[in-house]
Amino acid sequence: MTWFFARRIGEAAVLVLAVTLLTFTLMSMTSDTVARSIVGQTASAEVVAQKQAELGLDQPLIERFVQWLGGAVRGDFGSSWFTNESVGALLFAKVPVTLSLVLATVLVAAVVSVVFGVIAAIRRGGWIDRILQVVALAGFAFPSFVIALLLVLVFAVQLGWFPAIGFVPLTESPQLWLASITLPVAALAIQVVAATSQQIRGSMVDVLESDYIRTLRSRGVSPVGLYLKHALRSAAPPALTVLGLQSIALIGGTVIIEKVFGMLGLGTAIVGASSQGDLPIVMGVVSVMVLIIVAINLLLDLAYAWLNPKVRVA
Amino acid sequence: MQEGSAVRARARLSHTTRIVISAATLGALVATTAACAGGGSSSTQDSTLTMANAAGLGFDLADQQPGWFEQYLQPVYDSLFRISPDGDIGANIATEWEYDDALTALTIDLRTDVKFTDGESLDAEAVKANIEHTRTGASTTASQLQVVEDVEVVDSDTVVLHLIAPDPSLLPNLGMTAGMLASPAAIEAGGLKTTPVGSGPYTLDSSATTEGSQYTYVRNADYWNPDDYPYERVVVKVLTDNNAILNALRTGQVDAGPLGSAKDAKTAEGAGLHVLNYPNGDLEAVYFYDKNGTIAPALADVRVRQAINYALDRDAIVKAGYGDLATPTAQMFAITEDDGIFDPALNDVYPYDPEKARELLAEAGYPDGFDVVMPDWSGYAPEVNAAINQNLADIGIRITLDTLPVEQMYGNTLQGGYAMGWQPYEDNRPWDLIQFQIKPDAPWNPFHYEDPQVTALIGEIQAASGEEQTALFRELNEYLVEIAWAAPINATVFNYATSDDVEATPQAFAKRPPLYNFRPAD
Repeated sequence: MTWFFARRIGEAAVLVLAVTLLTFTLMSMTSDTVARSIVGQTASAEVVAQKQAELGLDQPLIERFVQWLGGAVRGDFGSSWFTNESVGALLFAKVPVTLSLVLATVLVAAVVSVVFGVIAAIRRGGWIDRILQVVALAGFAFPSFVIALLLVLVFAVQLGWFPAIGFVPLTESPQLWLASITLPVAALAIQVVAATSQQIRGSMVDVLESDYIRTLRSRGVSPVGLYLKHALRSAAPPALTVLGLQSIALIGGTVIIEKVFGMLGLGTAIVGASSQGDLPIVMGVVSVMVLIIVAINLLLDLAYAWLNPKVRVA
Repeated sequence: MQEGSAVRARARLSHTTRIVISAATLGALVATTAACAGGGSSSTQDSTLTMANAAGLGFDLADQQPGWFEQYLQPVYDSLFRISPDGDIGANIATEWEYDDALTALTIDLRTDVKFTDGESLDAEAVKANIEHTRTGASTTASQLQVVEDVEVVDSDTVVLHLIAPDPSLLPNLGMTAGMLASPAAIEAGGLKTTPVGSGPYTLDSSATTEGSQYTYVRNADYWNPDDYPYERVVVKVLTDNNAILNALRTGQVDAGPLGSAKDAKTAEGAGLHVLNYPNGDLEAVYFYDKNGTIAPALADVRVRQAINYALDRDAIVKAGYGDLATPTAQMFAITEDDGIFDPALNDVYPYDPEKARELLAEAGYPDGFDVVMPDWSGYAPEVNAAINQNLADIGIRITLDTLPVEQMYGNTLQGGYAMGWQPYEDNRPWDLIQFQIKPDAPWNPFHYEDPQVTALIGEIQAASGEEQTALFRELNEYLVEIAWAAPINATVFNYATSDDVEATPQAFAKRPPLYNFRPAD
């Protein structure tokens, strides 16, 4: 197990280095217009040149990357080229936003998907199953921002139950935190549920038709034990894969929801920064995102191992 | 067998029941939370003004760009001058001021009762330290101060700004970011990028501030002019999405904020919000960058440029893009109707007449039109661009659109990548427009086009003042229309909404209403 972790961390380091170098190179390819955007439309050519020198854009790429890397390993990600705010502080403020959204969405989606998926599989063709099919189709068909806008209009603007914008950190007030993420999580979870519950339903149906379930059933194993302990355990790995992929997609994919709800997380930060060419922010956010993705994959591996002893050999 | 299925049914039932119970519990929890959250909206009752704005540029005055982000700075910094809603220059830290006859020495008398919040005196030395610091930056604000050669401290409350050349925009600039004043000790210490120290009506409350998302300012109890700032607290929330701003306004989470489009303005009005509608100093036009004909020989012919002016159906374009929230114009200096420069008659020089346009093209030797590459701004103003491109196609101009991110289109334009193109341009005051796009070395004159008569008029304007200067601006405006310098379409109009409790007044040439123009509504 130690060897497994050591290898994983080694792989992660190589991945982080490769991704950051690639990002740095790509960002630098378009950086000739950055100085102009920073100083404004009306600044003179001399001012632009001065800014370029200030940002070190006149130095060779590899030198600048090594400089950035040197700072980053010491935890110093520099500061935004546009707003001057420290990238470390920015990450400190934005990581909780994204993690709250992603983790809460995954949790809600997992619970709801399992409940609906299992019930639909057991009562195949029943009304829950049919509703689930429709909801899943709708979840795929409606973009999450449309759902988000509807939720805001109904529950924030009309009914006033939830705030329309803003994020309250968990440490400030757990209750307001929950209120601030309820609508965005609901909007995000619908699509994840659509994908995952169908996966669970499908694999549950397969498992329930298999011989060993019939054997267990004939031996008088209680239905709850049969469905949850035996069948779901076999049906879970493919669903877990879907859920894992969905949660990775969510890390950057929350951007539209973040915008609609005025809660500025990693997604908004990286989209805004990369279209502006704000290299320090892009690099900081990309590094953190890669680390989160590596962590999620690690958790997935552990979950597979827990569900299926055969995997543990690795 | 029967017994077995009964057991199963019971187990299923209890399982389903459990799910129902869990769901109900979760629902109740969420409902409780929601009830608590409902009361948390901001209002003026607790004397807090909450504004939405795009992310600022930090607090170092050397890094600023005037127009967009003053709402972050106005709480903490005083400006030398105060600009009235009409754009007139008034006293603030400066009590009196006077130019010499050559217009190259500006003497300013200062208030003597102002201190920075760190206890330092706001005196002549502090003004000198600020101008010398701000001008070192690489920013539009810094470039506005390049004209200052030297700051002479006459006594503790008098400074003289010695200029390299007369600058008709210097006074208004000193009423915005270029004239803002930070504590010299804080400039020296170097922490201003994130921690402002000024003499303004408020101080930044770092405990209630999250960099990049919310800035909270609390009253400076020692401020010299508290009457202009009725609020105890000012909060600026960083919001970039138009929908988020609109929703925040509708739920009362912010009291004031910019609106994205004419459609949003209608929604806001429908929701009972006050909507301000004002020209922001930008001019939208089809610009002819290559009047030398370097990459598009056709544009060197004045008849071709005039033809394009005739080809544009300005009324229809503006209506498609902005409804009744913007006014078409055909002149370069198009901001205020009563500034003595704008001439309504100039808007009738090029009526919509595609027939005439085709004739002029034929006369110039382009009976079948010509090919041109233009930047694609359809992401920014889709209706406007679609209408313009159709108008140009109608007279035979074959456009290839170059689709790039906005920053790269700017970059390409500046490097002479396009012969012509539509663009919203930060126009500001007529003198600024001359600096930034008409002078041969202006950054937005990428092909360095020079017209002797234009250059002569610019020289005369710089050396003149008052009525005489206005008349010269008027003459230049007329000449630029005549030679079809560009094909202006409309002055950009901004929409800004406030709640029922807040009254705000826009300021000419400012993109956002300044903090000192916000009041609780009666």
